Amino acid sequence: MGLKIELAQIKPKLGDVPYNLDKHIEIIQTSSADCIIFPELSLTGYVLRDLVFDVYKESEKAVHKLLDNKGKKCVIAGLVKEVRPGILRNSVVILTDEKTNYIYKFYLPTYGLFEERRYFQAGDPRTDLIVNEYKGYKFGVVICEDAWHYEPIEALALMGADLIFVPAASPMRRLSRSLVIKDQWEALLKAHSIINGIWSIFVNTVGSQEEEFFWGGSMVISPLGEIITSAKLFEEDRVITEINLDEVRKNRFFSSFREHLQGFHEVLHKL
Amino acid sequence: MPEYVRKKLISINYDQIIEYITKRIREYIEESGKEGGIVGLSGGIDSSVTAILLSKATPKTYFLLMPSKSTPLKDIEHAYQILKLIKARDDQYSLVNIDNLTEEFSRLINTDDKLIIGNIKARIRMVLLYAYAQKRNYLVIGTGDKSELMLGYFTKYGDGGVDILPIGDLYKSQVRALGSYLGVPKEIVDKPPSPGLWEGQTAEGEIGVDYETIDSILYLKFEEMFDEGDISKMTGTELPTVKKIIKMVKVSQHKRLPPEIFRISGRAINSDWRYPRQWG
Repeated sequence: MGLKIELAQIKPKLGDVPYNLDKHIEIIQTSSADCIIFPELSLTGYVLRDLVFDVYKESEKAVHKLLDNKGKKCVIAGLVKEVRPGILRNSVVILTDEKTNYIYKFYLPTYGLFEERRYFQAGDPRTDLIVNEYKGYKFGVVICEDAWHYEPIEALALMGADLIFVPAASPMRRLSRSLVIKDQWEALLKAHSIINGIWSIFVNTVGSQEEEFFWGGSMVISPLGEIITSAKLFEEDRVITEINLDEVRKNRFFSSFREHLQGFHEVLHKL
Repeated sequence: MPEYVRKKLISINYDQIIEYITKRIREYIEESGKEGGIVGLSGGIDSSVTAILLSKATPKTYFLLMPSKSTPLKDIEHAYQILKLIKARDDQYSLVNIDNLTEEFSRLINTDDKLIIGNIKARIRMVLLYAYAQKRNYLVIGTGDKSELMLGYFTKYGDGGVDILPIGDLYKSQVRALGSYLGVPKEIVDKPPSPGLWEGQTAEGEIGVDYETIDSILYLKFEEMFDEGDISKMTGTELPTVKKIIKMVKVSQHKRLPPEIFRISGRAINSDWRYPRQWG
């Protein structure tokens, strides 16, 4: 039996938590999937700037509403969480049968248009890497920029995850001959899937927020590096895909996934 | 234009760009709670392209032709050609001659300085556009392109006084290529761009190089961060010209930013009080 996953590629209204929460609940209640995944900061929107200070409490409260409305589904949604007084993190909540887990973003982008370090504290890999389980499927979640580094997904895969969810808010840049940022994400996710023998499930925000425009294009990549499904570009979309663990096995029987030379990290540590 | 730049700036997917810009215009109008958009149509390439994109985004459009005595007749003809191209109905455009208003302002200010009068004209057009827009609950859709914005080649609160700038991230040579793609008549695409603030005024004439070269210099300097000497060699432009263009960008930075607020409090607007437009 496979696991049915819905990619809920939504356009959140910036700072409008009640609107975004309603949209989450509507999708959850009308979905036939086992597991529904929303984009990064799906309850608040991404380009919050100082609005972050206004919405974090509301977005944390919205989690209770999600919990009341999720039924037996697994739900993954993005929010701002206050982990200590005045310390905010770009977070994801994972709601499964047994528990509520929070995932924090490790790599906070500050280059180009991003200014996450201005508002958020990064998660700590030593305490915040979590593998969850739902209906026999072990999965990890990394948030957007974390997928642009090797370690978070490699660590989660070695810790037991067979699927990795990547909620993202990837803005459009360099629209020229092709949508370069989309090509880059495809390459990245394919590499993660192939190297780690995992399903990569990427769900991007869509639509405009201030000067930025999020391109959507959510996708599911198999452990063999194939794009199994993709959502529409530039507009809201809902896509359901069934994934299984056989593809994970197929990759790992004949791959180098088991190998990890600690020595490389010792070298990196000294750099 | 060096082949290196041409490949990156001109050989692009115009279908995708049209889809993107029209979608964003549509969304922006909707999110602002407005009904449609208005464009000042001059008969030049920028306003022609913007008018076409706006008409693709929404059926609720209005176009204002605001010639003065320094406007070449050809430009008015071109503006009408664009109205025909986008199938504008009679109730979707007006022609307002701004000579009387300009003369009245010039008389009050007691000036015949062509630069001051030129800027007055640009600001009169802005006032008219906003008044017409408000009557219809429309947004003012700006027509500035990236080359002009970078060079500061616009009038603050004149053609710079708009709600959105849909083609503001496309260089002039990209706008020309996009115009050809959209079916803008060749005569409009090929004519020297001019703000038309006084007779014979052209941007290329004032700067002394053509827009393809200007765009190459802007792109290589500000997007690829080449040094000035390399840019001079790559574009076959004299170093002083390269420096002149870069200087134009630097000295016009104040025109691209909102007015500076002198900080006194612990949290000053734009400095450490930074909220998105989509707030509340």
